[in-house]
This record gives sequence, C-alpha cells and structure tokens, in this order.
Amino acid sequence: MAEKKKVKKEKEPDITFYHPDLLAVPENEPPYLKGYKCKKCGQLDFPKVTPCANCWGEEFEMVPLSRKGTLYSFSDLYIGQPGLETPYICGYIDLPENVRIFAMLKGEVNTFKCNEEVELTTGPIRMNTDGLPITSYMFQKA
Amino acid sequence: MKLQRDVYIAGVGETVFGKHKIDYDELGRNAAFQAIKASNIDSPGMIGSAYVGNAHNGIVTGQTIFKDLGVCGTTPIINVESACSAGAMAVHLAIKDVAYGLTELSMGVGAENHTLRRKSGTAFMPAMNDIETVHGGVMTGKYAMRATRYMYETGATIEDLALITQKSRRHGKNNPHAPFGGDYTIQEIIDSRMIAYPLTLHQCCGIVDGAGAVVVCSKEMVKKLGIEKPVKVRGSVVTSGPYHNRPRDITGDDITEMTSEMLYEESGIGPKDVDILELHDAFTIAELLYYECMQLCGKGEGLKFLRDGQATYGGQCVVSPRGGMLSYGHPIGASGAAQIAANVKQLRGECNGYQVEPIPKVAMSHVTGGGLSGTEHAACTMHMITADW
Ligand SMILES: [Zn+2]
Repeated sequence: MAEKKKVKKEKEPDITFYHPDLLAVPENEPPYLKGYKCKKCGQLDFPKVTPCANCWGEEFEMVPLSRKGTLYSFSDLYIGQPGLETPYICGYIDLPENVRIFAMLKGEVNTFKCNEEVELTTGPIRMNTDGLPITSYMFQKA
Repeated sequence: MKLQRDVYIAGVGETVFGKHKIDYDELGRNAAFQAIKASNIDSPGMIGSAYVGNAHNGIVTGQTIFKDLGVCGTTPIINVESACSAGAMAVHLAIKDVAYGLTELSMGVGAENHTLRRKSGTAFMPAMNDIETVHGGVMTGKYAMRATRYMYETGATIEDLALITQKSRRHGKNNPHAPFGGDYTIQEIIDSRMIAYPLTLHQCCGIVDGAGAVVVCSKEMVKKLGIEKPVKVRGSVVTSGPYHNRPRDITGDDITEMTSEMLYEESGIGPKDVDILELHDAFTIAELLYYECMQLCGKGEGLKFLRDGQATYGGQCVVSPRGGMLSYGHPIGASGAAQIAANVKQLRGECNGYQVEPIPKVAMSHVTGGGLSGTEHAACTMHMITADW
C-alpha cells in the first residue's frame, strides 16, 4: 500500500476587505457603493440580488450610489455581537436612489440624530479569523 | 390558512421559565406531558402527529423530546425552526393536520434551553451570512432603531417606553411561570443598564429556558376525550417577511400588519373584539408599535392607548396578561407555543392570582421570527382562539 504523503496545507488567509462587489475604494478618489440595476426591469438594488428579486432577470448594470444620504435611524449599542468592541453605533441610511443601507456609523455615541446628513466612509467592521481588521463601508456625519 | 373543519385545543402545558439546569428535551417533555394529561389522552397512539419548535439546540429535537413519552414509531414528528416564531409555527402545523383531516389529534410544542450553552453578555444576532450581521447587526439594535425613530417622530420618551415594562411585569407579578414579574418603578427601569440606546436592560426580554405545549383535535375527539372547556381555533396564520432594500416605515411593521389583517379576515373577529393578547414584546418598543400595527388603536395613537389604560385590566384589550416576554423571558423556540398555552389558561379561568376578570372569551397571540436584512422579520405567526363551551 502506497504511503499517503502528508502535505501540510497552507491556511488560506481570511478576507480583509468586504466586499469588492459592493464597495469600491479607488486610489485618490472617495469610495462608493455599487448599486445594481436590473437590465430587464430597471430595479436598482443594494446589495446585489441575483437573480433580480423582482423579475428574475440575470443581467445587471453597476451604478455607483450617492455618497451622501440621510440617517433614518440609529442605535448606540452597548451589548453587541460576541467579539465586537462596545460601544459601537449602527444605523439605517437612506440614499437618494431610494435604497436603504444598514451600516456602522463612525463617530461618538450620543451624537447622532435622525434625519441628519451622513456620508460614506470606510473603516474596520470586525476582525477576521487571522486577527486582522476587515475593512468595509461605514457612514459618518457629513 | 383556511380551516377545512373545526379545530379545538384540548389541553396545554407550560414549564416555569427561567434559567434551567435541565435541557430543552426535558423541558419540552414536561410541557408536553402536562398538555397530554390536561387533554385526558391515555395512550401515545392517540397522537397523530407532533411538531416541535426549537431554534438553537441542535438536531432531532422533537424525537428527543417525544421518545421517552413513547410517542415515536408510526407518529410523524417534525422539527420546526423559524427563530422566535418556531413554537407558534409548530402549533400552526398541528392545527393544519387536524383541519385537513390528516389526523384527529396532533401536538405543537416549543422548547428551548439557551443558558446551558450560551455565554451571557452578548446579544442575539441573525446568521453571519446576512449582510447586516457582518456589519454588527444584532436584534437589540434592530428594535432600538425602531425606538429611536418612534421617539423622533412622536416625541415619546424612554419613560414612556418604560411604562410597557411596568404594566406587563405587574401583570406577571403573581404568575409562577414568569420569573421577571413584579413591581418596578419607572426610574428603576430607565436606570437599568443601557443595552442599545434607548433600550435599557429592563426593557429587553431575558434570555431564559422553557417550553410550552398545545394539543389540538377535532370536534369528535373533544367529545371522546371529555374536554369540558374546549377552546376553538378561529384562525392560524403564518407569513414570511416581505423583502426589499428600499426605505420603509419601521415605526410600523409590514409583516405584522399583513398577518393580523389576514387573521381578522380568517377568524371573522376584529381587533376591537380581542379580549386578551400575547404579542412579541421582546423589547418595549415592539409592543407600542404593535398596538398600532394590529389596529387596536389608530396609527400614532399607541402611546395614548397605553397611557389611557386600554392595554391593562379594565381596558379595551389586556395585552400580555401572563406578563409577556418581558416577564417570562424569551426562549426563542418555546415562546410561541407558551403564549398560546397561557391564553388557553386565561380563557378557562385557570390563572389563579393573575386571572383577567371578567374571564376573557377571545384571545390572540403573535410572534415574529428572525432578523433578516431587507425584511422587518423573516416570519410572523398569529393565532386567534375563543372559549367554546
Ligand atoms: Zn428585474
């Protein structure tokens, strides 16, 4: 019987960026979120839903979303997910494209208000399994 | 669900809720056996099917509960999971079997033990494949954002939200199943630890263990079992969260509005005719919104409804007569079945020390289930039951 060679498999590094299909961070330019417009029915979605939940269309056009939006609501979280440092802040941001984004907010607790203007930024949302921060979209006061 | 024939609740069971050293299966078995005895069932063969709601305790939960009761064998036992809706969904499926003539008698059970497995000090969250969860979403936060917006739009204060806790825990004060029942001052409630602004600890349901069980059967079986106080199922509705990523009014709740509307239609009983209601008061704000969503009062009138005493003894509808989740705590898979069990006991006048007077005739229950991005909740289950003797 041939001896099975034991090859120690290199662990693939975990992601540090969430997620190229959703967020673009061009060099020397501000970041933007990627909306997806269904080529069949025209519905614009974030995040991308494949197939289109409205018409089951499978082809999309990427549309950069507005960087500024309105903070619809928020909460300062003092008890959060396991592994996340508290307090942190989350909120719903409504963009002019009629899309609502759930995101973490960059800033201090007790400072946000409903209906104020916020803008897209990026920052660490959690640590990956290698102990490195994962960068994603966040919002802050405009 | 259109009921093809009359379905009745023969008997119910519920455990004491709280931190238990015994696991979900023993809790479930205790509740189930109570319900079996209350229904005068004298042999395992009489149970045509059983559905078991559970969220976090693993696989083959139903068979684990029922094997020691001798119910396994030819009886189909089917496990049901939809987060907080699971227990009520299990009852719904039992009702469906009887309503469509598949069985003469079926059981719905909800059972859950969180505390044996769970580290305290963290919040419940949807699965990590959900985009909101990746970005820090937790259930407390989702409800807290509803509260933030409600306060912004109506001028309600944290003190107003605290009234819900005060009212429901007073209801649960003498209920031996409800560990958090009691008299609380508004100050105590708002001074308790901040969990997710504006929700303080005493505005959040506790993470506990427990079980509830419901036996449903046909009219013939009610007679055969000699049930003196049969409770009639007037409506049982399960829906799934409408999905979209567009702005929506979170001071409402699209899925609860839709489900209650369907339940009123199905049962022929309107919102003003409901005597008692157990709803998904996992957090204070939810109850306030649901008064409006279920049309107990008009849009924007929830706070007035509460302040006017319409949600307590002597009011239009006693909300959370057992004390609600705010007094029981909320073992996710168990609560939906336990609510129905508690409502049946109220209709039968069996709630010594916390009985609603005059004895109610119409009881409604409501549990949503699960946070899922793009929905308010993944699921919603509601039941309408009435005294029928
Ligand atoms: Zn489409």
